[in-house]
Amino acid sequence: MKAIVDCNSFYCSCERLFKPKLAQQPVVVLSNNDGCIIARSDEAKALGVGMAVPYFQNKHLIEQHNVAVFSSNYNLYGDLSWRVMETLRQAVGTDKVEVYSVDEAFIDLDDNMDTATLHAFTMNLRQQVEQWTGIKVSIGVAPTKVLSKVANRLAKKNKAITNCVLVLNTERRIQQALEKTAVEDVWGVGHRYAQKLQRMDITTAWQLRQQNLLFARNHLGGVVGERLLRELQGQPVLGMKEELTVKKMIATTRMFGQTVTDLQSIKEAVATYTSRAAEKLRRQHGAAGSISVFVIPKEPPAPDGRFRHGPTISSYMALPVATSVTHELIKPAVQMVEALYEPGRAYKKAGVLLSDIVPDTAVQRSLFDHAMDDRSRKLMDMMDNINFSQRNDVLKYAAGGTTRNWKMQQNFHSPRYTTRWNELFEIG
Amino acid sequence: MDEETLHESAYRGTKAFTQLDVKTANATGFGAAADDYMERGIDLNEQLIRNKPATFFFRMAGDAMEGAGIYAGDVLLVDRSIKVASGKIIVAILNGELMVRRYKQQFNKAWLCAEHKRYKDVELTEFCDFQTWGVVTYSIHQHKH
Repeated sequence: MKAIVDCNSFYCSCERLFKPKLAQQPVVVLSNNDGCIIARSDEAKALGVGMAVPYFQNKHLIEQHNVAVFSSNYNLYGDLSWRVMETLRQAVGTDKVEVYSVDEAFIDLDDNMDTATLHAFTMNLRQQVEQWTGIKVSIGVAPTKVLSKVANRLAKKNKAITNCVLVLNTERRIQQALEKTAVEDVWGVGHRYAQKLQRMDITTAWQLRQQNLLFARNHLGGVVGERLLRELQGQPVLGMKEELTVKKMIATTRMFGQTVTDLQSIKEAVATYTSRAAEKLRRQHGAAGSISVFVIPKEPPAPDGRFRHGPTISSYMALPVATSVTHELIKPAVQMVEALYEPGRAYKKAGVLLSDIVPDTAVQRSLFDHAMDDRSRKLMDMMDNINFSQRNDVLKYAAGGTTRNWKMQQNFHSPRYTTRWNELFEIG
Repeated sequence: MDEETLHESAYRGTKAFTQLDVKTANATGFGAAADDYMERGIDLNEQLIRNKPATFFFRMAGDAMEGAGIYAGDVLLVDRSIKVASGKIIVAILNGELMVRRYKQQFNKAWLCAEHKRYKDVELTEFCDFQTWGVVTYSIHQHKH
């Protein structure tokens, strides 16, 4: 049996933990730079606040209904995410938990439990997570990962009846659940495939399940579609991941606080993003074989007033030797952005992408590079050590600039209650 | 002087090495004998935090709990996994506000009590919006000279 544990409106729940006044009030969290709404509490959803829409488009609704607005506080969310996952690991065993995203984890459950035991066990788990961390979760249980996702979705939809837990372990219950699930709501069926299926008159997950494997292979993207269908039919094909997979790509991209027109600021931003990405790269003991940089210019709004996304202008470079040394990455990044930049244009976003990542032990160096490698490595270790223990980037590359007027806008940031001594909650 | 020393960083602060480097300390002579008795140093986390994912830190503000030895500016360790019981100091949610108080229960009545004569006890009736946020396990006080 597989279970998916999914935190309810995770970012909003994190903000509410230290502000119990907001328990029944609508809450939304904005993306980096306060651009879009990326999380909504149930109350905010009920008001009709849209997901992933620009904040200003919903501003009237937010002001009218006194919705609490927060800038994203990833330090807080990251810490609470760790607490939720750690609670699960302690409850069921480290090797039975697969962290799937910041607010979701799959759990491997004993196959021999009967319905009542499964239900009691998951209810208990849910209660424990809420007691320990203050975060409410929903749990879906079923024979496969795909079906557990179906269960979880229904558990969340009918909270009053399910109490956020739904167990699908009999054929009859699975059929009922699949009949109530549209194909586009099945985990792994993308928007395009959903439209395709609807044109073929397959609208519910139950109808999809009636198809044969050849159909899935032909119409749902080959082997992946076949696996999806098997999972839907109750045959587990997606196992638990044995270990965290090493990321094949690391991206750092941000919107600028205000549009930027001068080359110097863009170079500083790109250098800073590169440092951040290199830091992430070293944390997973990787080295990047190539780097790309992109910028997005600001476009005037379309004649009908609709919001327009400027074209992404990017450049790519394969590195002579895979590296994780910040200055070996900053140099090509800055060169590329110099070439991309057009004077007179206003830019709103830039980003750096490190790819072709290999383990840093496997890097092939040329004979002459060897001495350099050791020294740079020491420097990087020292820099990471100091920055990690002191926080807030005590040491940084001069290329990143010192003024940072391109920095993110975060007007509604809550304190980092759980990760900074000087931001602890003051209680009377 | 070989090249390695020449290019080493001038930074000699405590952050340049980790605990792993100190453990066996490459000592000779007297130090080598001490090596046999090497163990992990005392770690406050071990003593103060029984359940890490459930433990949160707060900062005391105000004088409401001075009678219990908790002063303004003290750091409070709060464990959410501990069950509340009469006599425990808790972080309570009362009508939407977080506060530190001693929880007292007698038969079917319960109170939140400050430990300072300026504050009155609050009886928890069915009209109060009350919940326990967590139980205070330790407070850390800095003694100023």
